[in-house]
Amino acid sequence: MSAPAVPAGLLRRTFRRRQARIGAVLTLVVVAVALLGPVLGPLLTGYGVDDFAGRPFRPDGVAGTDDLGRDVLTRFLAGGGPVLLYALAATAIGIVGGAIAGMLAGYSAGDRTSRLDSLIMRGGDVLLSFPQLVLALLAVAVLGSSGWLLVLVIGITHIPRVARVARQATLSVAGQDYVLAARMYGVPRRRILATEVLPNITGPLMVELGLRLTYSIGYVASLSFLGLGVQPPAADWGLQINENRIALIVTPWGVLLPVLAIAVLTVGTNMITDALAKESADTTGEAPA
Amino acid sequence: MISTTAGNSTPAASISRRRLLAGAAGLGAVVLLAGCGGTAAARDAGPPRRGGVLRVGVTGGGASDTLDPHSPATNPDIARTLSLYEPLLHWDDAYTLQPAVAEMVRPEPGARAWTATIRAGITFHDGRPVTPDDVVATFRRITDPDDPKSGASQFGILDDVVVAGDRQVRFELTEPSPVFDQYLAEYSCGIVPADFDLARPVGTGAFRAESFTPGQQSAFGRHEGYWRPDQPWVDRLELINFSEDDARINALLSGQVDAIDQVPLSLTEVVGSYSQIRLLTSQTGAWLPITMRVDVEPFDDVRVRQALRLIAGRGEMVNQVLSGLGAPAVDLYARFDPDYLDPQREQELERARELLSAAGRPNLSLELVTSPIQAGTVEAAQVYTTQARAAGVEIGLRRVDTSTFFSDQYLQWEFAQSFWNTRNYLPQASQSSMPDAPFNETHWDDAEYQAVVRRARSEVDGGIRAQLVRQAQQIEFDRGGYLIWGFPDRVDAHQTYVGGLVPNRTGLSLSGYEFRKAWVAA
Amino acid sequence: MSLLTTMIMKRLLVSVLVLLVVSLLIFAATLLLPGDPARAILGQQATPERVAALTEQLGLDRPAWERYLSWLGGVLTGDLGFSAATQGPVSELLGGRIAASALLLVLTALISTPVALALGTWAATRRGTRTDSALSGASLVLAALPEFVIGVLLVILFATSVLQILPSVTIARPGEPVWARPEQLVLPVLTLALVVIPYVVRMTRATLSEALDAGFVEMARLKGLPERTVLVRHAVPHTIGPVAQVLALQLAWLAGGVVVVEFLFRYPGVGQALIDAVANRDVQVVQAITLIIAAFYVLVNLAADVAGILADPRIRHASGGGA
Repeated sequence: MSAPAVPAGLLRRTFRRRQARIGAVLTLVVVAVALLGPVLGPLLTGYGVDDFAGRPFRPDGVAGTDDLGRDVLTRFLAGGGPVLLYALAATAIGIVGGAIAGMLAGYSAGDRTSRLDSLIMRGGDVLLSFPQLVLALLAVAVLGSSGWLLVLVIGITHIPRVARVARQATLSVAGQDYVLAARMYGVPRRRILATEVLPNITGPLMVELGLRLTYSIGYVASLSFLGLGVQPPAADWGLQINENRIALIVTPWGVLLPVLAIAVLTVGTNMITDALAKESADTTGEAPA
Repeated sequence: MISTTAGNSTPAASISRRRLLAGAAGLGAVVLLAGCGGTAAARDAGPPRRGGVLRVGVTGGGASDTLDPHSPATNPDIARTLSLYEPLLHWDDAYTLQPAVAEMVRPEPGARAWTATIRAGITFHDGRPVTPDDVVATFRRITDPDDPKSGASQFGILDDVVVAGDRQVRFELTEPSPVFDQYLAEYSCGIVPADFDLARPVGTGAFRAESFTPGQQSAFGRHEGYWRPDQPWVDRLELINFSEDDARINALLSGQVDAIDQVPLSLTEVVGSYSQIRLLTSQTGAWLPITMRVDVEPFDDVRVRQALRLIAGRGEMVNQVLSGLGAPAVDLYARFDPDYLDPQREQELERARELLSAAGRPNLSLELVTSPIQAGTVEAAQVYTTQARAAGVEIGLRRVDTSTFFSDQYLQWEFAQSFWNTRNYLPQASQSSMPDAPFNETHWDDAEYQAVVRRARSEVDGGIRAQLVRQAQQIEFDRGGYLIWGFPDRVDAHQTYVGGLVPNRTGLSLSGYEFRKAWVAA
Repeated sequence: MSLLTTMIMKRLLVSVLVLLVVSLLIFAATLLLPGDPARAILGQQATPERVAALTEQLGLDRPAWERYLSWLGGVLTGDLGFSAATQGPVSELLGGRIAASALLLVLTALISTPVALALGTWAATRRGTRTDSALSGASLVLAALPEFVIGVLLVILFATSVLQILPSVTIARPGEPVWARPEQLVLPVLTLALVVIPYVVRMTRATLSEALDAGFVEMARLKGLPERTVLVRHAVPHTIGPVAQVLALQLAWLAGGVVVVEFLFRYPGVGQALIDAVANRDVQVVQAITLIIAAFYVLVNLAADVAGILADPRIRHASGGGA
């Protein structure tokens, strides 16, 4: 079994699917807007992010003005960064933390002297008994709202969910001959997990990555929409929807643009994830969780 | 006896046909008919008419809502207070003093004592006449040392209140006060019977209490023995709390209420585009200052304060924060005071930079504490921050919730915001700019200023007093701690069939919440 | 005791323990709060005497574990604490709101369950056709969207920009129950249903497809039974377990999703109260609501697991035959 070839092969096969390619195009379009927008916006519209283009909620310019009279299009083009950045960071925390916790739990599951497995999984059960958003709200209520707190909370709430998948995958690998052999030769646990187990569970982990990324985008945007995430005067899609929704009738673009961007982004990542899951299931013969 | 739950109070007998029709038409029309006009025919209010029900959506309120005449806090509290009770004097729509429960209030020579004469024949809701004992008891209740009410602070100079005749009450002061009558006109000084009991909220107001559910709604019936002829026009008044802007606006558009207060200024055009709605726009003397504590760095340097004031583009702030509905201000309050100074101050970024350099703070960076304590405060902070950047001043916004803002740190914030309603200069200074003021937000403590204000407060000669008031304003203009950028207009809205509501300068909504003036067309 | 009961009892015990730890966690979180809670509650009226009195009344001078126990005791007896923002008991604040939120959940469940099951079954019987792929495409798209995005799009479609036939906010007067105006329930329920349905459709389709391919169903077909009977008598019963689990999980999800949807539509339920309380840092309200939501979440998850245990043929068999 040539372990390192798995992820590359899986990705290549996944993107042979039309669904994955459509998903990739959708995702890339939004990412491009988010990355290039801050530069392009002022050039296209002639207004800076914080410039006042007119009175609030007027149909001036391409897409009207927002609640403070700033240009909606400029603010939209500048507002994709926080969502992407925070969602990626939260996903990274969740995947790394979850993979480590899950592999440790799965690897020690067969070991009757170790309580690590039940310790990790029961701890996860406690975190799992809150809806993710509610736990984030609890943290904001106690510690106040700040970007990195949200990243941390959303990331941490991903961990037990990712850990379940990683544990399951590890269990099926842990009994394989090459792992048992490495164990027998006294290879340290850390090395076994990193070189023998991890490369063989990348399929399910990639699926989790896509899934958690999709959810993270949703949570970050939702919290900003609730007024508890990114704080004004920053330009941010979730916040922009919150600021402008009261004038939906007069200047719909202030809501519509960011809503569509978030929709396209999450649909794109979810399509890739779904294709990954199908491909991964076809490869391993396991049904995706 | 009034019930504290709305559930078992029966609605007034007269649910008119109009109400039923409006309700039915409203259901489908919720949220927006903008631009399609004509579906709901606009009906004019016509001439004043007796009868009917007036339902008003009021901003704010909560479970701590009260009927206490002397401790109103929220908007619904104030609206209820002004319906149930009346002070001796009151501020009319033009912000001039008019008699109310008293038909006359006169100073004695030297203004160390004032005498109020109670209006002949005026009665409480229960039919009993108002006596001097009632007035004395009212002021004892307000200034009760064990439980001082919200209006108590301005009566610090009140030594005693005594009965001085069949209809006369004498206010004895510890120092001369030529403007004492202005204090008597605050809405938190409503006259109540000597045996006042909150469970039986009796006053002389145009409406008597029927039901009250804190945080939700209250209902009032017509005070048949009210002293103003014809008023109140309507038989029944309902005040309904709406804390959210869109809920309140939708309630108006769908015909669930006849009038609402406080249309968000950025939405006035949208709401005004409905043919069945009339906007009621009032100039006010209300102000939303940025407060700088003059006793801490860097605001202890007057050059820094002046620089920060020169940074403000006042016209732009009025445009962006208030959608142009308001007047620029120049760091002075009390615009309706006859002695308002009205100086000039424009945005001068270069001059601001020079001042900051001279103060040794060329790259100033500050944290401004903002909170949605009033519509427009957070927006104002954002616009000002943007303007400051152009002058090389970095301002970080720290947004806190209202309860944090008013927690133990209130009056301690170094760089924050506040809001005030219309007042004349001296009463306002007593509230916010003197060492004994209850809300000295800027810790303003200027010996020369205090001397001038003290002299003005007890100066009987009108001409000299005007001189002193202007002098005090000049000092605040030159070195005070307030950055006052504008006076927002107040925009309320009502159905076209509601008449009698007129623009009002007090800063209170809907004709100063004096619903006795309103009528509804049949 | 049979294996079945043992397993369920075990699962029940785990839930109780988890809830206990959850309550500990929620309580501990509030210890991190800076500042004096009594001062926060009193706000502008915080004179030293009143702070001292309230501190004693709230028992803030006692050690943390004692406060935890009395808080837990209060929760179990219906005393959820005191709201700083409304200056009243939390239970009073939440009373009507719990009913309003429950109404949303029940309506959503009642509407989305049959629709999702029907769509899933329909797709499973038409595997590979255009309708099937269109349906799975649509559910893939819907499943990706955050709930507030679906909600805002519905508002644009039905309340403001395209059609103006439904209210975009809850317009009930204070004190009036939300169901007094049924039309204002449409968009919130529709939003929640659109979030829940895709998952259930996909799960139903997947498990039913598996069952339809299974040997015993082939057998039934070979016996010449009509396809409809095969479906209803033989295939569907095998999907009940997994589908019930997904349904329960979706209900549990609703407990969180309802927060955003209530905020969006200004619906006067516990979710909106939670957002308000977080914005106002009204800690005791946040404590109470997060505990309520967590309890609901744990209970529904418990129900899902019990459904899974009951539906598992191996366990059923073992417990029934004792083998």
